[in-house]
Amino acid sequence: MRVLDVLLIGEYGLGHQNHQRDMYAPAFEAHPGFRVTGRAEADDPLDRPDADVVSVCVPYERRVEVVTRALRAGKHVLVDKPMALTAAECARIAEAAAGTGLVCLPAHHQRFQPAVRVAREAIAAGKVGLPWNVQADFLVAGGGAVWPLGELLNFAPYATDAIHAMTALPVTAVYATGGPRFQDGPSQNSSFQDGPEDLVTLCLTHERGMTSTVVAGRTPAMPGAGGLSLHRYRVAGSHGTLLADANRPAARVLTTTGTPRGTWAGPSTVDRMLTELHTAVVTGRPAELGPADAVAALRVVEAARRSLASGQVEEVLP
Amino acid sequence: MERGSTSVGVLVIGAGAIADQHVAALSSDPRGRLAGFVDTSAARAGQAARAQGGVPWTTDLAEALAWPGVDACVLCTPNDTHDELAARVAAAGKHLLVEKPLATTVPAARKTVEAFAAAGRTLSVAHSHRFYDYARTVHGEIASGALGRPLLVRLALLGGWIWPDWRTWVIDRERSGGHALHNGVHLLDLVTWWIGDEPVSVYARGQRRTAAELDVHDHLEMVVTYAGGATAICEMSRAHRPASLSARDVVVQGTEGLLTMEWDGEGVLLADERGTHLAAEGPAAGFAAQMSAWLDTVTGTASTGVAGDEALLAVAMGVAAERSMELGRPVSLEEVR
Ligand SMILES: NC(=O)c1ccc[n+]([C@@H]2O[C@H](COP(=O)([O-])OP(=O)(O)OC[C@H]3O[C@@H](n4cnc5c(N)ncnc54)[C@H](O)[C@@H]3O)[C@@H](O)[C@H]2O)c1
Repeated sequence: MRVLDVLLIGEYGLGHQNHQRDMYAPAFEAHPGFRVTGRAEADDPLDRPDADVVSVCVPYERRVEVVTRALRAGKHVLVDKPMALTAAECARIAEAAAGTGLVCLPAHHQRFQPAVRVAREAIAAGKVGLPWNVQADFLVAGGGAVWPLGELLNFAPYATDAIHAMTALPVTAVYATGGPRFQDGPSQNSSFQDGPEDLVTLCLTHERGMTSTVVAGRTPAMPGAGGLSLHRYRVAGSHGTLLADANRPAARVLTTTGTPRGTWAGPSTVDRMLTELHTAVVTGRPAELGPADAVAALRVVEAARRSLASGQVEEVLP
Repeated sequence: MERGSTSVGVLVIGAGAIADQHVAALSSDPRGRLAGFVDTSAARAGQAARAQGGVPWTTDLAEALAWPGVDACVLCTPNDTHDELAARVAAAGKHLLVEKPLATTVPAARKTVEAFAAAGRTLSVAHSHRFYDYARTVHGEIASGALGRPLLVRLALLGGWIWPDWRTWVIDRERSGGHALHNGVHLLDLVTWWIGDEPVSVYARGQRRTAAELDVHDHLEMVVTYAGGATAICEMSRAHRPASLSARDVVVQGTEGLLTMEWDGEGVLLADERGTHLAAEGPAAGFAAQMSAWLDTVTGTASTGVAGDEALLAVAMGVAAERSMELGRPVSLEEVR
């Protein structure tokens, strides 16, 4: 197997997040197809001979510039999610990547959940007929808010991207509800605090008349929940119904001392995403997702923001 | 109650499918006594009466309301007839348990509530899901405070096509009020009871999956927002495939906890030569609990049923959902009241 050299650039993310340190670096190090050869900051030169791939987690105001420079230097790129804070910036990255033949992968790793993969294949093979509705829940217990940006930007794109991966039906309109709901801590009984949304419901209209309803949010920590307290997709089609629980495969464990818990019994999504990156680079085939998927996700976020402000259904701008 | 009698004499108006459930529930409660049947179809009224050991029957409501020993009525006729028949029951001075929806329009529902208040008789509405064990369990968990304040509720009742053909009143929009009034009110009432807050607006989307020519939507997604900031997602389907699908899904995320009752929550998964199916008990226990609560209300022992004003709110929410589907935008409760 060809081993690709990886340069890690930056350790920034939304709020307190450091996905470079916590997710990508360990995953690259553990993956047989990659070797981490260096670390750099946003200002460092990128035309290094010891890098085939760069993993970009630079601050958001530098995203477009650094990704563009990396692509110009002939590097394949993995970009932390969200790829940028606006659809317009994502579109600029898409422009820079277009026609280069390089892989530019937004790290929408949740679409690599085994349940989402299986669902995607079943749907693409026509097992439910023509899909006409999706219901999705993406709830994370604990971990701390990504102040000041919120879970509409942080979590909702994982779910909308997974729906896109499963159905390939772009979103045309959004009605959104929600807001900051948990921020005062669990026992506070007031709502509508100033702050980013931590619980949203998105009613999406897709091409071909498909509808979907997506719940995304971050709740207080709950012992035993182990990260994603609820992560699932229900797809209704003209000829069948598919229920995909992305929290499985898991083992349920009860012990005499601890809280009941589920133990993940499947592969790592980040590892699978890196395998997709590796395969696309070494075979030269297009990666299954690219900057266009980040643009699509951010356009939904932006329409949802407008809907939260107006209380009305908002079109997704082309 | 009939003089010298300790039981409540109950006249069943409309001897169709759901009447059987009420009659079975009535027979299991010693406080109730079946007084007879009225149905515009003599065949149905007669058959129902014979099946119950030859109780009285007629096609004339006025005649039945004048029978001795009728204290209360259960109204099980098509939705668009509820308000007019209820008015006649109120005028006759009887208590009423009316099938949902209370009426198909907000003014008609309000008039019905007012008629019973004026007559000094009780009005209860058969929002039967409130009496199912699953619904009471969820309500109990929320009421206990275990989940904190509910912020997000998901309730899905999913099934395939179970209705007859084009002739049935159920898919006639004028007669049923539309699916949001016909079945939607079950969910809208239930989530509102669970959340215990004032609904503000409804955004609904409907699909016609079984046939594009349907007047009613066989799939509904109704998203309700509440004054305190909660959101409820109600999904009602008669459109899912395979048609044998029967699934229920409940999620409540509160400020302090998460409750889930998943689609296979009844616990019995049957895999046979035709595939994998869920197996569950029927609604009988819920109808018995509903009957018992109604008899409590009629006898003045307690008031645990679903009162007219709550059902009026459910009608308003259903009307808002139907209008939202027409207009393609959220509709506030203000707009439909
Ligand atoms: N709570 C529940 O779970 C539930 C379930 C199903 C139906 N329902 C409700 O029950 C009611 C009846 O539904 P169904 O499925 O039994 O319908 P159905 O069509 O089987 O029965 C209705 C009966 O009413 C009779 N009828 C019609 N107009 C009449 C009139 N003016 N006077 C007297 N009788 C008349 C018909 O001849 C028929 O026998 C509806 O309001 C429906 O929404 C409730």
